Amino acid sequence: MLLPEPEQNILDRRDEIVGALKSLLPKGCVIDDRTTMKAFDSDGLSAYRNLPLVVVLPETTQQVSDVMKWCRDNGVKIVPRGAGTSLSGGALPLSDGVLLGLGKFNQITEIDYENRTVTAQPGVTNLAITTAVQDNGFYYAPDPSSQIACSIGGNIAENSGGVHCLKYGLTTNNVLGIEMVTMDGEVVRIGGKHLDAPGFDILGVMTGSEGLLGVVTEVTVRILRKPATQRAMLVGFDNVQEAGQAVSTVIAAGIIPAGMEMMDNPAINAAEDFVNAGYPREAAALLIVELDGPEVEVDYLLDRVATLMKGAGASSIRISQSEEERNQFWAGRKSAFPAVGRISPDYLCMDGTIPRKALPEMLTRMSAMSQKYGLRVANVFHAGDGNLHPLILFDANAEGELERAEEFGAEILRNCVALGGVLTGEHGVGVEKRDLMGEMFTEDDLKQQQRLKCAFDPDHLLNPGKVFPVLHRCAELGRLHVHHGQLPHPDIPRF
Amino acid sequence: MARYTPENCTDIEDIVRDALQNETPLHITGYGTKTSLGGRVCARDELSLSAHSGITDYQPEELVLVARSGTPLLEIEETLDKNGQMLAFEPLHLNRFYDQPHPGSLGGIIACNLSGSRRISAGAARDYLLGFDAISGRAGYFRSGSKVMKNVTGYDLSKLMCGSFGMLAVMSEITLKVLPRPEFMTSLSVTCARLTDAQSALSAGFGSATEPSGGAIIKSGGGFKAVLRLEGVKISVKDRIASLSALLEKTGTLAVMSAEESLDFWQMMRDISCLQKGAEQVWKLSVTPSYAPQIIAELEAGHEVDYALDWAGGLIWLGGRGAELGEAVRNALARHDGGHATLMRAPEAIHASQPVFQPLDAALGGLQSRIKTAFDPMYILNPQKIELAGAADANAL
Ligand SMILES: Cc1cc2nc3c(=O)[nH]c(=O)nc-3n(C[C@H](O)[C@H](O)[C@H](O)COP(=O)(O)OP(=O)(O)OC[C@H]3O[C@@H](n4cnc5c(N)ncnc54)[C@H](O)[C@@H]3O)c2cc1C
Repeated sequence: MLLPEPEQNILDRRDEIVGALKSLLPKGCVIDDRTTMKAFDSDGLSAYRNLPLVVVLPETTQQVSDVMKWCRDNGVKIVPRGAGTSLSGGALPLSDGVLLGLGKFNQITEIDYENRTVTAQPGVTNLAITTAVQDNGFYYAPDPSSQIACSIGGNIAENSGGVHCLKYGLTTNNVLGIEMVTMDGEVVRIGGKHLDAPGFDILGVMTGSEGLLGVVTEVTVRILRKPATQRAMLVGFDNVQEAGQAVSTVIAAGIIPAGMEMMDNPAINAAEDFVNAGYPREAAALLIVELDGPEVEVDYLLDRVATLMKGAGASSIRISQSEEERNQFWAGRKSAFPAVGRISPDYLCMDGTIPRKALPEMLTRMSAMSQKYGLRVANVFHAGDGNLHPLILFDANAEGELERAEEFGAEILRNCVALGGVLTGEHGVGVEKRDLMGEMFTEDDLKQQQRLKCAFDPDHLLNPGKVFPVLHRCAELGRLHVHHGQLPHPDIPRF
Repeated sequence: MARYTPENCTDIEDIVRDALQNETPLHITGYGTKTSLGGRVCARDELSLSAHSGITDYQPEELVLVARSGTPLLEIEETLDKNGQMLAFEPLHLNRFYDQPHPGSLGGIIACNLSGSRRISAGAARDYLLGFDAISGRAGYFRSGSKVMKNVTGYDLSKLMCGSFGMLAVMSEITLKVLPRPEFMTSLSVTCARLTDAQSALSAGFGSATEPSGGAIIKSGGGFKAVLRLEGVKISVKDRIASLSALLEKTGTLAVMSAEESLDFWQMMRDISCLQKGAEQVWKLSVTPSYAPQIIAELEAGHEVDYALDWAGGLIWLGGRGAELGEAVRNALARHDGGHATLMRAPEAIHASQPVFQPLDAALGGLQSRIKTAFDPMYILNPQKIELAGAADANAL
């Protein structure tokens, strides 16, 4: 994985750049000593580390705007950063770029129960939104496992999901409005407490744009009333294929549970060792199915799901009898990553999505690949929406293992695409999957995406080196190629 | 004046390429049922997708349906219905409203992002477009998205296509997420003397755990009727209707609507036949729900208006008359937390005298024009359907 070659003239101008940024920002908002900057040298994809040119931590939208405008005028790159939990290296610093952290944007600015919205600064954590409204019986639905740490701004940038997005949608389905700053330093507001802002849906493309189109400085999300009842069901299977099939069976029966997660045997045991969730250790696969709604509905659907599961070959079924037990069921799933972290010095977390019906086939291929690469894999899936999180276990200190793990991961993702799926369901492309984009898109597809980028950031100053394997100059992308590169009326000056 | 009816993607590409070379813009249509919606397209030639029709892939158990953009919406709705599924965003049927034989094509619904009453709970058309392929105004074929439920690979261009009114690219095939149709539906009506009370009823309902899937208000007698729709498995709907009734007991006079009554009511909202016939102009206002009563009161003070609310109060269908109504509408929004207004229908003179869509500020307007340029630099596709600021920007890239 290579980041774009740093520009020597920017590196040479470091003192001047740091000085200029210090003049734009209050004291303490610019970090330029290497020791303190180390805290920002990577995100959740910690195999990759790189020191930024300088770190800035602005406190207001105006300051973000000032910094961006100055950087634009001076040809300096910017990498936005929320909480730094990205698993795809989206917030990995550039040696010749300013790392713009939004950590000081940590206030919830408005809670509006009547219209069921919360407006927050981008550095507020995902969980803090739910925490702020839960005493009134509300919550914010998207719940990434990293929710205690990740920021709502980062969630927008990655279009993050969670175990409940099967029923309640991803970030994109729950955001109503944003304020953002473009690379020009312009402050733009889109949406708010009303729906479907006019014009081309910039809110929609900003969500999931991985910090390449603008810096989000305020977010308005919808909140929902907490369901009257929530109950979870643990379903064990003797083989993974049957479990995969069971997932499709439930959906085909017209039931959309609040969440439907799957773990394979290595993941079950790692989680069990870690939190004692009461999982069946001998099961080859475990499904966690959550149903929510009025008590009568939950009881009725639990019954139906249980019947479907038995028909699909379930070897054990347990239904949570109390809120405490439900939380315990989830505890294992929610801590699956750290749990796996305990049984292996390092792991890579992959994130492909496949059509649900391909789950059994994918699982078969996965174990073949595990043998081929000689690396263990533990599987944690958002099975309801076909989103896989294979965790590839390796030891970075063992010669060549990181490379092998990465090759294994790439092969998993290629298989996802081959089975009709995609490279990433919720973690983003970042640097991690950047070079695999060609598996899913043609050169023309990618060029059209980059033209959109040019509309926001024509000089590629915002988070370059992420998402796109090749950076085409906007002037080149803008050129019209009609009839083998001949413009219709070459005498008319354009582009 | 030429009218093209391509039957496949290659033909679409050829037509757009010719248009680009000859610099003759195209009016992109399905069946032309929504020609009255949006600005008047400035193009002599028409590219109609009506012959590019048919469902190409439907996998009910995967909740995915793929269809060519010219497929009639009714064909899709019927196919889904037979399989116990639906388009959860409940597309508006504008055929009555625009006096058309049928509600048009799937491509038109997606391009105009036309969502019905379930918008408030299940999301908009844009939330169900998983992927598409298309020919851009550069005559370039491209694809975006996928057939799976969760995908963040690259920019979410599907969102841009929804609501682009055919101004960025001509969609060829459209991939949608579909959902199981609820097995049971019923509605609770709450009749109140004042609009603010009806609005409070909706707000209370949507703030409760009863999960309403629709919330509307119509005028009724001298007062107002708030209607909340509950859907799902029967046992659950019955339970929630009881909870909702208990919650709203003091707000007004309650009545549980019969299945038929309920169906009729929501069809009326879907068809926008909730306004009195013959309104000279109809506006669609998207507002902060709690401000809806104030916005209406302000408009009523100076104008003779008729109205109905949907989206828990966040959508106002407004009927009225007069050349100044538009400005009054936009001023009222500006005073109440923003939002936006679209002129849905009006006599030509009134239509021509003002922007159809909410005007955008300079920064946002500039971005919109640059996005247009990224896809369609020569303004070949549906010019003027949405008015863009700084259209001359085409040379900026
Ligand atoms: C243990 C663990 C579990 C996880 N579980 C999940 C999960 O269940 N579901 C899921 O979807 N993800 C998960 N993630 C991934 C990660 O938490 C999410 O992608 C999260 O949204 C990133 O937020 P962040 O604030 O940490 O962003 P960062 O990592 O700081 O940044 C991520 C990207 O967003 C950009 N960015 C950040 N803030 C802004 C802003 N204000 N404006 C513009 N761009 C910005 C950055 O440039 C970068 O490209 C997990 C990560 C970990 C470590």
